[in-house]
Amino acid sequence: MNAPLATSGRDSRQQFELSIGCVPLRLQMSDAQLFDAASARYAAFTDGAAQPITIALNDGAPPEGALADFGYEFEGAVLRAFSNKICFDGVRNQYALDSLLRVLLSWKLLGHHGFLLHAATIIRNGKAFIFTGRSGAGKSTVASLSPEGTVLTDEISLLRREDGIWRAYGTPFWGEFRAAGSNTSAPVAGIFRLLQAAENRVEALRPMATLRALLPNVLFFSAEAEANRQLLDIVNQAAKEIAGYNLSFRRTPAFWEVLPA
Amino acid sequence: MSTAAPVLWQKNPALAWREIDDETVIISPQDSVMHELNNTGSFLWKNIDGDKSAAELAELLAANYEVTPDIALSDTQALLEEMSSRKLVVTVPATGGVTT
Repeated sequence: MNAPLATSGRDSRQQFELSIGCVPLRLQMSDAQLFDAASARYAAFTDGAAQPITIALNDGAPPEGALADFGYEFEGAVLRAFSNKICFDGVRNQYALDSLLRVLLSWKLLGHHGFLLHAATIIRNGKAFIFTGRSGAGKSTVASLSPEGTVLTDEISLLRREDGIWRAYGTPFWGEFRAAGSNTSAPVAGIFRLLQAAENRVEALRPMATLRALLPNVLFFSAEAEANRQLLDIVNQAAKEIAGYNLSFRRTPAFWEVLPA
Repeated sequence: MSTAAPVLWQKNPALAWREIDDETVIISPQDSVMHELNNTGSFLWKNIDGDKSAAELAELLAANYEVTPDIALSDTQALLEEMSSRKLVVTVPATGGVTT
């Protein structure tokens, strides 16, 4: 097993390994300041898993003549995924790194039957409750109204289907709630579309309605038709197999009382 | 005298789509927009294959649903225009006119 934090043998590059949703990654970089910031930001997700995907930061040396399987640009930061190497270039700070990591994960999760979702995940009685909605829907509010230590994320949830069971994983991608994140997972109890209202009420959704609730909140950045077909199949399966609800809620902890056990 | 070949319609190949519970969900990867088609819209969508004109699609619609040929043609043309404006369907270049 590799050491999660180490100095690479080649020149002055440093590297550390992390795992998000059981997707192992190895970040290599020579910028000491960025290394310190990134290793602190992802400390809870540091892991020395076997066969991580190597990401070279600001290396500037993509494989000669190789065409990228996937590429994405965000505010000058560029992601290129080759068959044996991932390149992040133009990464000037940890926020750019964080953005490219989200983009990369959203693509890599296709191969793990998973996806990223704008949602807060709260653990209750060993089960993951997923609260989904766009900015302002109430994800951070739900997190702030939940017991301390139960929030896996208030912004971006990671769902994967493993051995026929959907599990939600903690991610280091947070919104207003701000926390280090928790690198744990739990089986999913249900997906709740957040609707702020004067009273607390849940309404069960048909799978098609659950799919409608999910798709606008899925994070996905590939413009490839085939990748989007794969994603649609995965999210559709989630909509069929996970109980979906509309949750009308007031900004008080009492909303938990109307949720299914 | 020559008559223009009928316009044929095909699905935009850049789209991702799946049939779910008699409805069709379509994703435009370029702009991440989701579109939905109801039962009759899904029927037409299934038959838009690059080989059929609006009139031929309308004939299929009339044969499979309780609707008159005139209404079927009107509905088909309206749906094709709507889908075309959303870049869900494109016309196929004519391979040759009909000469009389």
